[in-house]
Amino acid sequence: MAMCFRLGVTVPALVLLTCAAMGFGIPRGLASGVAFIVNSSSASISVIDMTSRREVRRIPALREPHHLVLSPDGKSLLVGDTVGNQIMFLDPATGAVQRRVTVSDPYHLAFSPNGKLLVVNGLARNQVDVYDAAAMTLIKRFAVDSTPSHLDFSPDSRFAFVSLQGSGKLAAFDLKELTLRWTEPVGPAPAGVIWWRDKVMVAIMGADYVVVADPATGKVVHRIVTGKGAHTLFLAPDKKIMWVNNRASGTTVSLDAETLKTIRVYNIPGGPDDIDFAPDGTLWITRRFAEKVAILHPDTGDFETIGVGRSPHGLWLNPAAPRP
Amino acid sequence: MDDPFDLIAGWLHETVLIPALYAMGLMRWEDLAHGWVLFAVYGGVQVALTLAVCLPLERWRPVERWADQRAVGVDIFYTILSRVGVLPLVTFVLFYKVQVAMNGWIVDHGWIPPTLEHAIPALIGHSVATFVLYAAILDCVDYWRHRISHRFRWWWALHSLHHAQRQMTFWSDDRNHVLDDLIALVWFGAIALLIGVPPLQFPLLVLVLRFIESLSHANARVWFGVVGERLVVSPRFHRAHHGIRAAGRRSCNYGAVLPWWDMLFGTANFSRAYVQTGDPSGEEALATGTWLAQQRAGLRRLWRTLGRLVRQV
Ligand SMILES: [Zn+2]
Ligand SMILES: [Zn+2]
Repeated sequence: MAMCFRLGVTVPALVLLTCAAMGFGIPRGLASGVAFIVNSSSASISVIDMTSRREVRRIPALREPHHLVLSPDGKSLLVGDTVGNQIMFLDPATGAVQRRVTVSDPYHLAFSPNGKLLVVNGLARNQVDVYDAAAMTLIKRFAVDSTPSHLDFSPDSRFAFVSLQGSGKLAAFDLKELTLRWTEPVGPAPAGVIWWRDKVMVAIMGADYVVVADPATGKVVHRIVTGKGAHTLFLAPDKKIMWVNNRASGTTVSLDAETLKTIRVYNIPGGPDDIDFAPDGTLWITRRFAEKVAILHPDTGDFETIGVGRSPHGLWLNPAAPRP
Repeated sequence: MDDPFDLIAGWLHETVLIPALYAMGLMRWEDLAHGWVLFAVYGGVQVALTLAVCLPLERWRPVERWADQRAVGVDIFYTILSRVGVLPLVTFVLFYKVQVAMNGWIVDHGWIPPTLEHAIPALIGHSVATFVLYAAILDCVDYWRHRISHRFRWWWALHSLHHAQRQMTFWSDDRNHVLDDLIALVWFGAIALLIGVPPLQFPLLVLVLRFIESLSHANARVWFGVVGERLVVSPRFHRAHHGIRAAGRRSCNYGAVLPWWDMLFGTANFSRAYVQTGDPSGEEALATGTWLAQQRAGLRRLWRTLGRLVRQV
């Protein structure tokens, strides 16, 4: 077998990390509930008590889980395991496994706003799959060029927008006609995608900016410089701030959601990736190469850290859940 | 909880690799590069550990003593090339598109690669046990690959490069023809489609397996006792495979980590002799040439063999 390790057949699955733990003593917030952190290279999901900010346990995944999403009815938390070819359905309060469904290479995944469709990006297979959300049956597979990374929808659920990391393009799929509407160049290695105010914003990882594209044509209408390796975009729950993580510069940037002007730049070393927002106003951020989650206090710029597994990627907070 | 090797890899990735990828416009490979830097760091650890154990062993109880050890140098080169990930990287870059297209095509035709946990749900949540089971299955698969590579003349033309070394040491494990490596890649790629890939979150377990393989080539009078010899492949056991008289079709002891497959399929030889290694049927360049000369000689041997096959037909 060692031959297979020697040749690195499976190396894309092998990933780990860590870097200097930075953090400051900060009074504990009043958050309660449970946080789920997907450790992509440990093949596990860390369950964190949001009150004590300690890891309580780890849920084993199969091979290489990355992203997670809550089902439209709020009853299941779906974790996509790419190399394991499986979506794991978890109880969003306890993390108990409800069921497992075989799905090809589920990397980034999201439900359409009307809850009817689940779109799954198969990053390593150049496939974008559209599932019937209720039955979990495949409706349509699009072959794309190449490396479909992140996705988001138009609010009317008519279109899905997918960044194609390998070709520097953004693709729009018509989910009613089940056709590819357009693919347009947006910049090198596009990653995070978000619909915002009748436009589509895409983070350009091969550059230092975020683009704003016209959803009808895919033409870029704006560029906003945020930092090298712009990677993910998240809108604050109050919709006043758009947050951007920059992979290469190791920064998290807040943009005024109205003007898209930079408000503040925070240093978050260790490859900041996904973000979720706690009710106490803090941001929980996975730090891929640091095996940590950062809890950022936007007012002070300080952050605490919680040790998790290797290459933590997706995360989701459930403040309403009882303490684990 | 923090693993120092992860720490080194993460630091290298953030401070060296990412700035370099960014500058070169290769950020689309950032995630995979992270895997590679880890592979390289753990590869370095494998080499260091093997060196620390095997070098004293070879000094203490050598099977053979050589006045001049120049032939060992090229094996060190082979080891570095493959363990710090240079060769795997080249193969990956060359065949990435083919692999993605193939996997996509197969999935499109209704086959989604399962995992062993799929067949044996009791394994779910027991990832170390799963890893061990995969390791055993893949070792068996490798036994057959290796055995067949001795059976066919064209394949042996390539694999004989591994056997040509007369100064076999713990560095000899990675000495292979690149085409032979490539065939192995396809072989394991096919198996991965059938049974999936093992959980790879245990770099230390991988390290143990690789260590056993390196040790099995050591120039050391080491055996594991009557029982131990039948549990894990020892330097004595694998030396028999490399014996001059066992070159080609008459060989024995094809197992890499476990001797079980040889015992099961009737190719085990537990004789006590520490034999001389080498393959007298091959040209000298295969044994003592530079890396490039050995690769070329392997190709020549393949070419001649294929020519003979064609004439026979
Ligand atoms: Zn052999
Ligand atoms: Zn050997």
